Amino acid sequence: MKTEHRVTKIDPKGKRIEVVNLANSQTQWFSYDQLIIATGARSRRLNLPGSNAKNIFTLKDLQDGLRIKNYIDEKRPGQVAVLGGGFIGLEMCEAFRLRNMEAFLFCRRDLPAGNLEKEISEKILKELQENGVHFLTYQEPAAFRLNSNGEVTSLETNQTQFPADMVLMAVGVIPNVEIANEAGAELGKTGAIRTDAAQRTNLTDIYTAGDCCEVFNLVSQDWVYTPLGDIANKQGRVAGENAAGGKATFSGVVGSAAFKVFELEVAFTGLGMQMARQYGFDVDSQVIEAESKVGYMPGSKRILIKLIFDRQSGRLLGAQMAGKEGVARRINALAVALHQKMTIDEIARLDFAYAPPFSSPMDPILIAAEQATKKIQK
Amino acid sequence: MSKKEKLLIIGGSAGGPSAAARAKRVNPDLEVTMFEQGRFISYGS
Repeated sequence: MKTEHRVTKIDPKGKRIEVVNLANSQTQWFSYDQLIIATGARSRRLNLPGSNAKNIFTLKDLQDGLRIKNYIDEKRPGQVAVLGGGFIGLEMCEAFRLRNMEAFLFCRRDLPAGNLEKEISEKILKELQENGVHFLTYQEPAAFRLNSNGEVTSLETNQTQFPADMVLMAVGVIPNVEIANEAGAELGKTGAIRTDAAQRTNLTDIYTAGDCCEVFNLVSQDWVYTPLGDIANKQGRVAGENAAGGKATFSGVVGSAAFKVFELEVAFTGLGMQMARQYGFDVDSQVIEAESKVGYMPGSKRILIKLIFDRQSGRLLGAQMAGKEGVARRINALAVALHQKMTIDEIARLDFAYAPPFSSPMDPILIAAEQATKKIQK
Repeated sequence: MSKKEKLLIIGGSAGGPSAAARAKRVNPDLEVTMFEQGRFISYGS
């Protein structure tokens, strides 16, 4: 285990890698029989005037988190500008509000979590507003104004100039593929390292895993870029087993994830409508709201469910949910349905466990699927 | 005695440590070295 060691080159012919010890800047070559590239991803930074200011942060790892925490503890910023309405931006709005800061979320579109369905994004927006987050729409950041200490004092966008004591850039990640690519590892159309079910690269005895490489989506039957820690772990196991002489395979993902914004749980699996259309499905959807448990039980909350399906085959293509209780776990049933290529009809007749503290006699998923069956061509 | 096989792993967050643990389990004789540019490992999984 060598921390603070940066690998700067891979020599696949000589089967060795060049490593810089960051503590003393010394370079050393290490030889390998097998190599695994798990170089991850880095936060994307907007390259704007002033964007190197010391109080502009990104959040990817523990060190980033500590930097943000230390800055807040030291400088007590009152007002934070969050750029980007994705998961990191949303989760951090909650974290900043918990530190009693005024949070302003700058979004390029009219709704947060733009990759999700509109109905879900609207619930997220409502939750943000109920918790005092200021949501600004159609904002394109243009420049940062700095003081003589090199700190941001305001943010300029296409619409406005806005005072800020600190900035969080949460505008996505970029796979770390440079050393792999220079060594001749092929990249896929997503720009991440191309791999296969055995987590091999095109280079002999070199495997890859995690946020630096692609993953196969079982619903779209396409190689995609889905940088998530749970997928990285599964790919890592397969890469490790095969590098040690085993014969493991990773068949792929259906695209499941969950996150929480204040009290709202959001979870999704599979394809959204737009994506499903791009892959040539005859897409339809069903949106319902239902109680997470029997209505008379304490703690029962409304859940919104959107099912996305192919109206000709009836096959489920995706599902998204939002609600204050019983969402994140519930989505897993539909992830299994996607793995098994189940139809809406089959899902509507699933035997789910029922007792009043956990569900209603007709679980919200079953209600949604039952409604959806009416839209499927017979 | 034959020389130990060497597995090198670049990256110590999620994929790297999972791969290291698995490789050691499959072949305990493997010499595994993991390189991480940051100060911490397993920070983002």
